[in-house]
Amino acid sequence: MAKIENGRQSADSRSIRTISSSHMDDESSLGSDSEINGFTNDRHTDKYGFIGGAQQYSEESAQDVPPEVLRQREVKWLDMLSNWDKWMVKRHKKVRLRCQKGIPPSLRGRAWLYLSGGKVKREQNRGKFEELDSQAGDPKELDVIEKDLHRQFPFHEMFVSRGGHGQQDLFRVLKAYTLYRPEEGYCQAQAPIAAVLLMHMPAEDAFWGLVQICEKYLPGYYSAGLEAIQLDGEILYALTRRVSPLAYRHLEKHKMEPILYMTEWFMCAFSRTLPWASVLRVWDMFLCDGVKIIFRVGLVLLKCMLGTREKLKACQGQYETMELLRAIEPRYMQEGFLVREVLEVPVSERDVEREHHVQLKRWRKNHGELHCKSPPRMHGARAIMASEPPSRQDLRQNPTIIVESPLPPPQPTPQLKKGEKKSKKEGSMKKAPPVMEIPNPYPLPGDPSASTEISSASTEISSASAYSERLNSTAAPRQ
Amino acid sequence: MGSDEAYNFVFKVVLIGESGVGKSNLLSRFTKNEFNHDSRTTIGVEFSTRTIQLKGLIIKAQIWDTAGLERYRAITSAYYRGAVGALLVYDITKHLTYESVERWLKELYDHADPHIVVMLVGNKTDLGSERSVPTEEAKDFAEKNGLLFLETSALESTNVETAFHNVLGEIHRKVSSKEVTRGSISAVSLASPIPRAAGDPEEKKPCCKNL
Repeated sequence: MAKIENGRQSADSRSIRTISSSHMDDESSLGSDSEINGFTNDRHTDKYGFIGGAQQYSEESAQDVPPEVLRQREVKWLDMLSNWDKWMVKRHKKVRLRCQKGIPPSLRGRAWLYLSGGKVKREQNRGKFEELDSQAGDPKELDVIEKDLHRQFPFHEMFVSRGGHGQQDLFRVLKAYTLYRPEEGYCQAQAPIAAVLLMHMPAEDAFWGLVQICEKYLPGYYSAGLEAIQLDGEILYALTRRVSPLAYRHLEKHKMEPILYMTEWFMCAFSRTLPWASVLRVWDMFLCDGVKIIFRVGLVLLKCMLGTREKLKACQGQYETMELLRAIEPRYMQEGFLVREVLEVPVSERDVEREHHVQLKRWRKNHGELHCKSPPRMHGARAIMASEPPSRQDLRQNPTIIVESPLPPPQPTPQLKKGEKKSKKEGSMKKAPPVMEIPNPYPLPGDPSASTEISSASTEISSASAYSERLNSTAAPRQ
Repeated sequence: MGSDEAYNFVFKVVLIGESGVGKSNLLSRFTKNEFNHDSRTTIGVEFSTRTIQLKGLIIKAQIWDTAGLERYRAITSAYYRGAVGALLVYDITKHLTYESVERWLKELYDHADPHIVVMLVGNKTDLGSERSVPTEEAKDFAEKNGLLFLETSALESTNVETAFHNVLGEIHRKVSSKEVTRGSISAVSLASPIPRAAGDPEEKKPCCKNL
C-alpha cells in the first residue's frame, strides 16, 4: 500500500528516452538498482525480489519444496524441454501434471517461453525484436507507456529504480508491441503482464511471451473497447452459478457488474491480486491450460468470499461486496489451498466456450456486433502448438554459456572441480539421456556420492584458509 | 452496514481524467493522507471512503477511481452509476490533459446523473515552474460550464481537503434544496438503504430489499 511520502527527490523525472546508455552503465556499476534509490539493507527483500513484504510474502505460509525434490523436477523438466514436441504430443498429461505441481524456479522462465509458444515465435522471427527495438515508436503511445514504467511492481527490486534496467526493458517490450501491432496500441494492463515475464526472462523472450498472451491466451483483452473482458466478466458471472449458488444470488441481488471486481483480476492474470508464490503457480497452470485457469481462480475467490451465509450477512450492499472482494483473506490465496481448489473447480474448456457462445449471443442482442473481432482463443500450450507447429529447429535450446567439461559419470569418482558444478541451466546437452541415468550433481549428505564432494569441498576450504593465512602474514597492517 | 460509524448521507464521488494526472493520489491523500510517487497504475476500479462533518451533518464520501486511459471508457457505465459528484482532474503541467476535459465532460453527461456536481481540478501545483495551463483560462472554462474549480497538489496536500469538501457541500446543497427530487440522486440516509436512480432503464423490480 502507499506509504507516506516526503518529497522524494526526482532528479529521475527525466524521460527514459533521453538517458544515454553509457550514463546508465555508469549508474549501474555503482551497485544494484535498489541501492541507487536509497533502499538500504534493512528493507528486507524476499526471495522473489519484493521489498518490505510487498506482494504478501509470508514465512509461515511459504510452501518450500525440499531441495531433493526440486532437483528431481529440474531434471525432468530439462528432459521435457529437450524433447518438447514429443512430450507435448504424446505425453501432454504429464506436462500438465508437472505444471500443476509448480515449475522449478530455475526453469520457470524457459518453461513459460516454451509453453506459450513464445520460443517458437522467437525462432521463426529472428531479428524481428531487434528491428522493433531500434525503431522510434509512436510518441503518443510512448508517452503513456512512460507514465506507467515506474508504476508496475514498484516495490520489486527489478522495477524500483527509475530509469533502471527493469524499467528500461519494460519500456522496450511495451514499445515493441505497439510497433508490432500498431492497430492495437498500448493498453495499460499489458505492463504488469510484461513485468512478470521480465522477472523471468530477457526482454526479447518477454516480448514474445507477451505477444502470445495477448493474441493466443487472452485475445481482445487489451484491445480498444475492451469487449473481450466484458464478455469474460459475464461468463465468470454465469459460471458462478454452478460453483456457488449463494455467491451467484448475492451478486445478482446487488446487481454487481462483473467489471467492478474482475477487471484487474483477469487483465493482469491475478498478478496484482495474489501473493507472489500463488501468482507463479497460477501462471504455471495458465500457460499450460489457458484461460479456464483464470476463470477457476476467480470462481474460487468468489466462492470463498461470498459463498457462505455468514459472510453475506456482513455484506449488505454493492459497495460492501466490492470491499470484501478487494480484501480477500490470505488463507484463500495461499499457494497450497488455492491450487488445490482450482484443480477441483468443475469448469472445463468446453464449459467456457459454451458460455462464451451464450454470452456472445446476448451481447449481440444488447449491443450489436462486436467492434473488435478477435481471433478465437487458444486454450493452452497444446492448442497453440497445434495451431503454430514448430520445426525441430525452432525448439532447439541455444545455450549461451557452454561448460567445457562434461558432467561427471554416474559413479562417484575423483573430485569435481568448481567449474564442473556449473548451473545445469546452461549446460549443453546434445542428447538427453533417460531420466534415471542423469546423476544428481547436488547430492545431499548421506548420498553415496556425497562423501566425495565433502572431501573435495574440505580440500577447497583448507586451501582457502591457507591462502588467507598467507595473505595475512604478508599484508601490511591496514588503517 | 460494514464498520458502523453513524452517518447521515453517503455520497458517491468519481475521479475522472487522463492517465497520470494524479487521480489515485488525490484519492489516497484525501482518504488516507498518503501520497506515493510510484502508486500502481489503476486497472479496474479502486475506491476508498472517508467520513467528514459538514454543516453539522456526517457525510460518508465514497470515492471511486478508475483507469484514465481512453480504452477503459468502454467499461465505465457501472462506474458512474449512482455517482452524485465528480472530480475531473487534469495535470497543470501537461496541456494535453487539459485539452481532453471537454471530452470527459461529454462522457460524464452521457453516463452519469444529469444533476451530478462537477469540479474541475488542476492538479500538481507543486510543479509550478512547469505549468502549461494558466489558472485563469481553466477558471473561465469552469465558470462557463457550470463547474466548480480548484487547483490542488496531492503531493503537498494543498487544497485537497477543500476540493472534496466543496464538492460534498455542493452535493448536499442540491440534495437538500427542492432543486432536485430525492429519488433522482442516490443520496442515502440512515433510515433507508441505497436506492437506485429512478428511471434507470435496467431496473425491473424494486431494488431496496432489507436483508
